[in-house]
Amino acid sequence: MRSARPIKKSGWGSDEATDSSEPRFIAIGRIVRAHGLRGEVAVEVWTDFPERFDTIEVVYLGGNALEAEAWQVTATRWHRDRVLLTLQGCEDRTAAERLRGLLVQVPIEEAMPLSEDEYYAHELVGLDVVTVEGEDLGRISEVLFTNANDVYVVVGPRGQILLPAIADVIVRVDLDAGQVVVRLMEGLV
Amino acid sequence: MTRSAKKGPWVDPKLLKKIQAMNASGEKRVIKTWARDSTISPEMVGHTIAVHNGRQHVPIYIQESMVNHKLGEFAPTRFFRGHIVKEKGSRARR
Repeated sequence: MRSARPIKKSGWGSDEATDSSEPRFIAIGRIVRAHGLRGEVAVEVWTDFPERFDTIEVVYLGGNALEAEAWQVTATRWHRDRVLLTLQGCEDRTAAERLRGLLVQVPIEEAMPLSEDEYYAHELVGLDVVTVEGEDLGRISEVLFTNANDVYVVVGPRGQILLPAIADVIVRVDLDAGQVVVRLMEGLV
Repeated sequence: MTRSAKKGPWVDPKLLKKIQAMNASGEKRVIKTWARDSTISPEMVGHTIAVHNGRQHVPIYIQESMVNHKLGEFAPTRFFRGHIVKEKGSRARR
């Protein structure tokens, strides 16, 4: 039972019928706890663009990238490294407590544009990987974010290969062609 | 207790030998290592080292900012695998 009410019951990113497995929302944070007694929620920031919280008007709260409910944001402010959101319809701490753990999302079409040679992980997953010599290595199944470079997990005829996302290895990413061209360094496979 | 400064940092001798040989020859290849406790020395900068995380070797490109850290810090032993699509970009480092 939720006393605070979202502005839309089931807030899909768009009304058009799309593939149900395609992500519709992209997470920019997660509600970690209620803050104070007036219904504010503290959000752990996950986005590379934290400044987007300063102008955000609607957020989509949900448990995954497929389903979420739209909530109107009436105020935002920063508290240490977290953002405190005031949501319309969430008037007290009890209502805010019920939102704990939910993902703070925006429709995937509103994802911030990245610089050249930079891609979102969900765009890379599923791309075919070929070497500069034309050998098929398989598909990217996962992107691992380490404290150093990112690592692309490729599953294919040679089994599982971990490719470091460095310029020496990743030659070209072609999203339109659905292909990543790589140069295998000696010792990588 | 921290390691005595008198001893200097611990760098895996086998790994260091391979790195020094590559630096001498100008060759570049990925070296597999299990030495997660080895300190990253300045000689390693610019090389790619595949550090074992208990299951697989995670290829890590060594940069200057990583010197004096341990190799294991950059090859996590646990990865959270959820269905969350985060607004985080991935790019090939230069």
